[in-house]
Amino acid sequence: MRSALAYAPRPGLLQSASPLAAVIYLGALVVAAFLFSNPIVLLGIGTAAVIAGTVAGAAPAVRVGLRMGLSLAILMAVVNMLVNHRGETVLARLGDWPLLGQMTITAESFAAGAVIGLRAAAVTLVLVVYSACVDPDRILRALRPIAGRSALTASLISRMVPVAVSDATRLGEAAKLRGPGAAGVGRGALARRVLAGSLDRAVDVAATLELRGYGLDGPGSRGPRQRSRHDLRFLLAGVAILALAIGFKFGGAGVYSSFPGIEIGTSLGTCALAVLIALSGLVPVRRFSDLVAFRRPARRELRRA
Amino acid sequence: MPEIAVRRRTLPALAMAGLSYRYPNSVSPALDDVSLNLAGGEFVVLAGASASGKSTLMAAACGLVPHFHGGEVSGEVATVGIDAVESGPGELASVCGYLAQDPETQVVSTTVAAELGLPLEMRGDPAEACARGVEEVALALAIPHLVDRTVDTLSGGELQRVALGAALVTRPSLVLLDEPTSQLDPVAGDELIWLLRRLNEEWGMAVLLAEHRLERCLPAADRVIAMDAGRIAFDGRPRDFLGWSLEAEPVLATPAARLFSLAGIKRLPTGVRDARRTLEAAGRADHAATGKLTARDHPRPPTGEIALRLRDVWVERERDGVVHEVLGGVDLAINRGERVALMGRNGVGKSTLLRALAGILEVAKGRVDLAGEVALLTQNPSDFLVRERVGDELPGGVGAEALRIVGLEVTIERDPRDLSGGERQRLALAIAMAGRTGRDSEGPALVCLDEPTRGMDRDCKVDLEGLINRQAQAGSAVIVATHDVEFAASFADRVVLLGRGRVIADGPVGEILSGGWYFATEVARILGIPGVISPEQGAAAMRGTR
Repeated sequence: MRSALAYAPRPGLLQSASPLAAVIYLGALVVAAFLFSNPIVLLGIGTAAVIAGTVAGAAPAVRVGLRMGLSLAILMAVVNMLVNHRGETVLARLGDWPLLGQMTITAESFAAGAVIGLRAAAVTLVLVVYSACVDPDRILRALRPIAGRSALTASLISRMVPVAVSDATRLGEAAKLRGPGAAGVGRGALARRVLAGSLDRAVDVAATLELRGYGLDGPGSRGPRQRSRHDLRFLLAGVAILALAIGFKFGGAGVYSSFPGIEIGTSLGTCALAVLIALSGLVPVRRFSDLVAFRRPARRELRRA
Repeated sequence: MPEIAVRRRTLPALAMAGLSYRYPNSVSPALDDVSLNLAGGEFVVLAGASASGKSTLMAAACGLVPHFHGGEVSGEVATVGIDAVESGPGELASVCGYLAQDPETQVVSTTVAAELGLPLEMRGDPAEACARGVEEVALALAIPHLVDRTVDTLSGGELQRVALGAALVTRPSLVLLDEPTSQLDPVAGDELIWLLRRLNEEWGMAVLLAEHRLERCLPAADRVIAMDAGRIAFDGRPRDFLGWSLEAEPVLATPAARLFSLAGIKRLPTGVRDARRTLEAAGRADHAATGKLTARDHPRPPTGEIALRLRDVWVERERDGVVHEVLGGVDLAINRGERVALMGRNGVGKSTLLRALAGILEVAKGRVDLAGEVALLTQNPSDFLVRERVGDELPGGVGAEALRIVGLEVTIERDPRDLSGGERQRLALAIAMAGRTGRDSEGPALVCLDEPTRGMDRDCKVDLEGLINRQAQAGSAVIVATHDVEFAASFADRVVLLGRGRVIADGPVGEILSGGWYFATEVARILGIPGVISPEQGAAAMRGTR
């Protein structure tokens, strides 16, 4: 079974962009997510990732990212509410709990957890788009001359993940096929077997890497440097996002604090920043006419007919 | 560059002198005083039983032994003039390509284009040369349509071709292939061998090919080397090898050689064309072609008691978010005690059908009636082995009985990993069958085996055949999905051929395996007599006794 998060070559602009351009564009969104705690700005960043992934043809990955991000956000909000008892607005007093002590639920601790969760969700969405749209081989190729050993390890891991998934699927199937008179196989035994098998498989993959000449201290990679004529727009978009984020940050936009009381900045600057960042998700659109057609496929098909 | 290429061609592709090698913690040597010379441009087949040292010899030629596996080595190995004991596999990568059995661990990149280009990049070729190399090897292997795909979307056969492409992209002077056809159907297997022969002739690269199904590759070979217990037992021309094998190592003899030997023809054939020419020259072709089969070697299966009946069975599977129809309206009835070979090209739905019978895939439409439980052994028996003691896999009286059925009761205290390949397979089958019962059978109503002969030598296949026969005699119906035509001819009563998700041929083994070209035995292809598929039948027909 192929993961929706796995890279798939598609004719999108983000997929054809050079690794540097794609990393700068998506990296700028991640940096912005760490610069701001304001939920409006974080929502803008998440929206940008959703739009970018969808127009790049990775809608299934975006859906997975949204599910993951939402689960993560809820989990963080709940956990923070249970372990952090700061804040003035008490929602509930739940008495003494083993290990956790006095349990006081405050709106502020919930909000602080929700913001951390929202940031994690936004970053998850960006990483999901990166995973589905940026060719890992090209990243590793770019990394190899700078950090050969790290690239080797990353190559091994990136290959071992699908191999281990495939092994686990096969072993799970074999476990279901055991006769009722055979000893049962629990999850622990299965996990141990996958791990032990993975070590053998890693040796095989490492041997293949050796045979491809990976261990050579040769003249270094001079592989094809694929550039896209759209690289510039991704580079400019990345730089613009960073510039806007830093500029607005110093300008006092995107204010947020959870303690002692909840304060969410809703200034014009904050809203403008969120909207601009969200609109940066449109950078991978090839032609805006395609975007309109994408939303109305039936009419387009009718026109063709 | 041309000078280097010419110099490489004049060097021996592989030279070994007194090579002995012992794996770490191993008592006996895997290679014992091996000396050989492969000239540039030679096509050499490496024959031998399992664990005879074929794979180790290849690993020594490409530098994995001793650099990757460790162990003790003595003697000399020079691969295209480079000392393989001193240099590692990386240094040998540009002169020597290597393809091992399992294609899943033979690819290391995400996309096919990156996989094919990686060895060139590692060698430091400029961008233009990399792009051209990828294009040319993709065209040579007929895989340009795969170049933009990710490797995890490829079938086993496609993955094998991509891995072969990565091994060939540097245009090595020597290519080593360890059972590359073991996962391919007869069509794809034959195509791969002839592709290698074409590249061998056009590119002038030497080929060292280890194979169990020798009938497939001998016609393309210039020379055969047979290994036995780590030593070279034979080294010579294919025709001489056949004569030697009939005398010294009958399990290595091809069906055509056994046919001619039984028929008393001295000039042993290396393939179908060679056999036909010999028969024509001897004036026996017409006689052979008019022979008729009047009896079957296999006893007729019991009739009337149905073990399995499929009525209009449809199975769908999802891939990349799209639902594909794999089986579309399969009708089939199999009797108790019947031995059925399920055949068809790669991806036609054989494994899907077996999984649907075992209940791990849902039937989208249709009806499956079974006279009891189903035991399915999937392609990799090691997947069934999760514990460190045979007795722990199969505890109690039921487990002991399952071990007795497969003849492994004496191994109860051993670690499954220490068993031989054939024993591991029998243990896995015992695990799949343990405690399963049928209405009128001692054991499950239906026993299914998916590609059980992958990578097996003939001795192991004979053992497996015995196991299948015993299970059929105990009342189970046995279905074996296989690409191995000769094995199917040997064990089956009946062959069911799948095509495009449907049954396209179903009948007695002699009828089906003599009625086509790809799904036909070597003897059937030589003689073309309806119903004649084995060397014994063929020899009898040629003697006019049938």
